[in-house]
Amino acid sequence: MHQIPLAFVRKKVAGGGARSTNHEVPLIPFIDFLLCIVCFLLASFSASGELPVDKNVKLPNAENVMDMTEAPMVAITGTQILVDGAPAGNTRAIEEANRLQRVDELFNVLKNKRELWKQINPGKEFPGVVILQVDRKVQALVVKSVFQTAAFAGYPNVSFMVGRLGK
Amino acid sequence: MAGIDVGGGHGKRATNHEIPLIPFIDFLLCLVAFLLVTAVWSQMARINADARVPGPPKDEPPEEQKKEKQLNVEMKGDTKFQLVWKEGNTVVNTIDVDRKAVPTGSNGDIRFPDLAKKIEEEWTANGSHRAGSDKKFDLAILHTDNTTPFSDVIAVIDAIYSPKRDFDFAGKSEKVPSFNVTFAVN
Repeated sequence: MHQIPLAFVRKKVAGGGARSTNHEVPLIPFIDFLLCIVCFLLASFSASGELPVDKNVKLPNAENVMDMTEAPMVAITGTQILVDGAPAGNTRAIEEANRLQRVDELFNVLKNKRELWKQINPGKEFPGVVILQVDRKVQALVVKSVFQTAAFAGYPNVSFMVGRLGK
Repeated sequence: MAGIDVGGGHGKRATNHEIPLIPFIDFLLCLVAFLLVTAVWSQMARINADARVPGPPKDEPPEEQKKEKQLNVEMKGDTKFQLVWKEGNTVVNTIDVDRKAVPTGSNGDIRFPDLAKKIEEEWTANGSHRAGSDKKFDLAILHTDNTTPFSDVIAVIDAIYSPKRDFDFAGKSEKVPSFNVTFAVN
């Protein structure tokens, strides 16, 4: 290569006797910061992704709420009842009957889930929690029927899934 | 690059090592980017209800229990709520509250702030379970028409949960709703 006299560049870069233009980048605090972010994100990471909400369910919002917990999900749309995505009853039938009733299909599904849980966790107390995802337009009669069915199937702690409303 | 200096090698293999910090930082940045992209910021929550139903019949007669005051919230009508304190089947007090729905948010949600305020006042005056060490809660029974939409039911339950009390749990005191809510079956 040709020698190009760039002494003036060196002089500029090195500061030329004035204040040095070289700087130390504080890498260690930067790495500490990154590690903290990684730890936080890993701790809040959810491998299963977003909580599954049925696409036909528009949830209402509420202010005085609790954090979500893991439990069987019962979705109630305008036409059907689903337990963890599988059909377990019809809401139209309840509306047409126009009286509070036990939903037998749902009762059997929930009872089977409860028995399965007890087989998997022998000696442990069954928590009896079920979460209802109810569409905002569903009639109270359907909600009360499902609520009562869940209680009879051994799930006395019923929670309604809602959106969190800011105070 | 960062290094580890543990003194000279004294003619043997050098014990000083360079730690490749730049690839390490690149790796961390990739990890942060991935976790941020896949992060789920859930706005979902739950509102609790207590489904107390009679259990199977027992041979021995049930223990005589002290009858406690229960708050019955009746939403049977378009113009007002009725708050009824009952002790067993005896009506202790009845209060009417105007049904003023306040729209909130853009999804057609409503709230009943007047009802929430009145329930808070009623609990302050008549609530039985207040101490943090008390594991029981006052019971509110919700009476609704069969045709009431679920969004209205949730707005009323939300109002019932507005009064808060202390609750001691695992050595800590935290604020929890004063009432347990259940549905009237008839």
